[in-house]
Amino acid sequence: QEDIPIANGKEYTIADIKVTGSSNYSENTVITFTGLRVGEKIYIPGDRMSNVIKKLWDLGLFSDINFYIDKVEGNDVYLELEIQEVPELRNVKINGLKKKKHREEILKKNKLKAGTKVTENLIATTRANIKEKYTSEGYLNTDVKIVTREVKDTADVQQSNSKVDMIVNVEKGDKVKIKSVNISGNEVFSDWKIRRQMKTKRKNFLRFWKRSKFIDEQYEKDKDKIVKKYKSQGYRDARIVSDSIIRLDEDDIAINLKIEEGNKYYFGNISFLGNSVYSDEQLKQVLGIQKGDVYNGVLLKKKIADTERPDGDDLTNLYQNNGYLFSQINPVETRVYNDTIDFEIRIVEGKEAYFDNVVVKGNDKTNDHVIYRNLRTRPGQKYSKEDVVRTVRELGQLGFFDAEQLSPEFKNVNPNDGTLDLEYNVVESGASQIELQGGYGGGGFVGTLGLSFNNFSLKGIFDKDAYKPLPMGDGQTLSLRAQAASYYQTYSLSFSEPWLGGKKPIRLTTSFSHTIQYYYDFYNRDKNSNRSFLITGGSIGLAKRLTIPDDYFTLSTALSFQHFNLKNYNVGLFNFPDGYSNNFAITVGLSRDNTFTNPIYPMGGSKFSITAKFTPPYSLWNGIDYGNLKNKPEYQDENGNPDLAKIDQQKFNWLEYYKIKFNGDWYNNLFDKFVLRTNVEYGFLGAYNNDRGIPPFERFYLGGDGLGGYSLDGRETVRLRGYPNQSLTPIDRNYTATTRGATRNDGATIYNKYSLELRYPITLKPSASIFALTFAEGGASYDGFRDFNPFELNRSAGFGVRIFMPAFGLLGIDFGYGFDPIPGTNSGPNGWETHFIIGQQF
Amino acid sequence: CSEYQKVLKEDDIKAKYVMADSLYNQGKKQGKKGKLKKSLRLLDQIVPQYRGKPQGERLAYIYADTYYQLGSYFDSGYQFERFTKAYPRSEKAEEAYYKGAESYYEVSPRYSLDQTETHKAIDKFQQYISRYPDGEYIGEANELVGDLRDKLDKKQYEIAKQYHHTEDYKAAIAAFNNFIEDNPGSKYIEKAYFYKLDAAYTLAINSYRQLVPARLKEAKEYYGDYFKYYPDGEFSTRAGEISTDIENRLQNINNSNS
Repeated sequence: QEDIPIANGKEYTIADIKVTGSSNYSENTVITFTGLRVGEKIYIPGDRMSNVIKKLWDLGLFSDINFYIDKVEGNDVYLELEIQEVPELRNVKINGLKKKKHREEILKKNKLKAGTKVTENLIATTRANIKEKYTSEGYLNTDVKIVTREVKDTADVQQSNSKVDMIVNVEKGDKVKIKSVNISGNEVFSDWKIRRQMKTKRKNFLRFWKRSKFIDEQYEKDKDKIVKKYKSQGYRDARIVSDSIIRLDEDDIAINLKIEEGNKYYFGNISFLGNSVYSDEQLKQVLGIQKGDVYNGVLLKKKIADTERPDGDDLTNLYQNNGYLFSQINPVETRVYNDTIDFEIRIVEGKEAYFDNVVVKGNDKTNDHVIYRNLRTRPGQKYSKEDVVRTVRELGQLGFFDAEQLSPEFKNVNPNDGTLDLEYNVVESGASQIELQGGYGGGGFVGTLGLSFNNFSLKGIFDKDAYKPLPMGDGQTLSLRAQAASYYQTYSLSFSEPWLGGKKPIRLTTSFSHTIQYYYDFYNRDKNSNRSFLITGGSIGLAKRLTIPDDYFTLSTALSFQHFNLKNYNVGLFNFPDGYSNNFAITVGLSRDNTFTNPIYPMGGSKFSITAKFTPPYSLWNGIDYGNLKNKPEYQDENGNPDLAKIDQQKFNWLEYYKIKFNGDWYNNLFDKFVLRTNVEYGFLGAYNNDRGIPPFERFYLGGDGLGGYSLDGRETVRLRGYPNQSLTPIDRNYTATTRGATRNDGATIYNKYSLELRYPITLKPSASIFALTFAEGGASYDGFRDFNPFELNRSAGFGVRIFMPAFGLLGIDFGYGFDPIPGTNSGPNGWETHFIIGQQF
Repeated sequence: CSEYQKVLKEDDIKAKYVMADSLYNQGKKQGKKGKLKKSLRLLDQIVPQYRGKPQGERLAYIYADTYYQLGSYFDSGYQFERFTKAYPRSEKAEEAYYKGAESYYEVSPRYSLDQTETHKAIDKFQQYISRYPDGEYIGEANELVGDLRDKLDKKQYEIAKQYHHTEDYKAAIAAFNNFIEDNPGSKYIEKAYFYKLDAAYTLAINSYRQLVPARLKEAKEYYGDYFKYYPDGEFSTRAGEISTDIENRLQNINNSNS
């Protein structure tokens, strides 16, 4: 703030400053506001002086500010500062609005609080705001008057004219209804067809709950739409020659529209000019308009640049996706004869553009390397709009940023050098989730603590500065979960790193879990520590994004191991109370996922996965004849009967099976934001050796909410709404239950499921995404291929809602009606079921 | 009810002022955060009321400084900035300019995050340095600016290095070129020259046959750049090996062509 003289400014020393005019503030205070001091040297006129005045204005406290020079003595100057203080608001009274809510809304929106400085501007904007609000609701006759009244404060005589009351008179009048919409001049389209283009509707007794009010903005849009409708059907010259709004009486208006349709036209020759990169043929193919087609201005525009779809198949994108940022395409009518129009599409290709600097801003938690490795636009690369769009989509899918607020910005665009800089602006969103539960279940208190950190940094755990509150930013996931009840405890931990080594997207996943369950004595209501069941297991897996056939594919492999140990404990899975079992398996999966943009609410794309899980075929080489075990003396008891416990121990010491699953999801954006999700699932569990049989593990349980709860046997629960949890066991089970000794609880080896779900988002804000859905689905499970019939389904339909909040994950509730009876019962339709959905299943 | 609680609850702003001031002085002298926190609660109440009054200047200063002493640098940065704007001629102005800048320095995050605060801190130090070229804290200011600049350099360098690490050599070359152009004095420059050479070389030898000679020649140029500035640099041995290999390969190509 150097003081520089303006024009022939002269340096003075301030001898005195006097404050005059009306003010609530003491002279001292006002002088402090100015920052000027007696004894200070100052240029008049000068930079400092004008800054002081500006500073005072910026305070917004004064309506008039004047500096005077009282007198000059040598180099000494005596200043006078005259100020007029803006009056303060004391009370606001709003007349004409009955509801308190409406009055408060006005106060809030216009910030009318006691103490607010009442400027002319405030009054004008308040008036305009109120008028606009009611006009947009159809009260076209709204009248607003605002008066201010000075208040002489009796308690404080010193205060001059510093306070005012504001009185706002609002006269809404009645809502203006549209009585009729009269259309003339139309021959090609009927009145009805034209009215259908309009959102401005006339009053109709059938539409008593819909609006028939008049909104100017909407009306303008409607007129545009009518003309567009004509243009899309060959009527190039169509226009609205006149439109008038006639006031019938106080509350009713009529709209008269006069349309001039003009003639119907056809496309003539279409030629291209200026194209060197693409041939006429290539461009014609994209354009897709033939000579002789009915003229369609809307389609032509769309094929040149589709404003509604940034990834549209149009000429502009053909250039934009291949480096031609500076390209321009203009259609020009070259000749109109009879009903035919010739076009020339003039193309300025411009220089090819290359990205220079590519930067990311706004990441205050997530480290650069996590973001930059996901960018498809890199320095030195040819410009492509498609790459930018896809990068934005994929950054959104990371789940670390608010997908709705991701924005790419072009900077330093230089058509001469053919370069541009690109800046991605991201906004971090919370990525961690906490699960804390307590409740009574299974004979005692059950407590659960689950923590899931979705943007974890393992590197940061030894750095105390990184705890804010936890080391974050490397894109790793760490989940911890502990559940404890009086008779069982289970702990699990998993960690995953999406880019192992940082070179290529190879995801490493590891997990470990341990469960111990004690025998619960229902008589003593206590656990028996001598009788227990232990499961300890772990897994490690790698998943790699592929580049062939395209880069939406992921190939994964995993090794998993589980050890079961029984001490005098019957679990129903095995026929032995003491013993062990091991489950060592390899899982290979191939999946493809190109859903976008919001992982919570995909607007399109599809998701497929096929996985195969298999154990080594031990029985191929271990030389045990499982079918014959019962005839061997070492597997018989003293009486020569087969000892089922010994046989089962031999059969299940190392589990032997293979399991194949398929899962497909399609998301289609139907219209507006409605999305249809189509889902197909199959699963098959088989044995290599039929004598050894399919183990009672890893089976499919169909029905209900599909939430995997606490289970010992690695079961897979499959959601099928409209039926109780895990209720849809194979149909003929009941008839053979006694003979086979199977219980209803041992699951199926084959299942299939089909589901249709229509979704609509209520809000997609980062703080909470909410969507509603309605579904129809069906599925069935079988004991073997003999019974398999993909059309014999348990069907259901219903509706529900999902809420996603970053801190809690996904919560939802579904109401489903089951149309079929539960297999094995003759109860008729199962009827309504309510399902609560918790966790990340979509 | 303690004396402090009483003052805190009552409306006597004069008493609050006196107590806040003495708590601040004691807290600062004795290094006691508890006292500073107490002072802060009083200051929160009275600072707005004294704005524009003669005591306002001192209050605004101790308000900012209390935040600073407590280590809440986001607030102290902002409050010192307000102070310097409102009282540019205060005798505490120099200190406030410096401490304000230092607050932003403290807030500046690690290099791999968004550096908005770092840029702001550099700006603030720059203001201090140009305003008080012979100032009391000029040495520290220059040193801290150096730290911040280094952080920005490191950020840009690491991003380019990541392109190299993920084997996107074309992007790496472009990014290293930008880096060298933007930060000629950086301590990462030698590395940048070397990895640019390495990227060009690796790209060349893994290219389609017809592209190899041109790309090798480009890599050779980059070796020239490196060698010119760092004949005895940290990577000169490895760079020399690359250079020899480039020469051999170019020789072979020439031989097989003729």
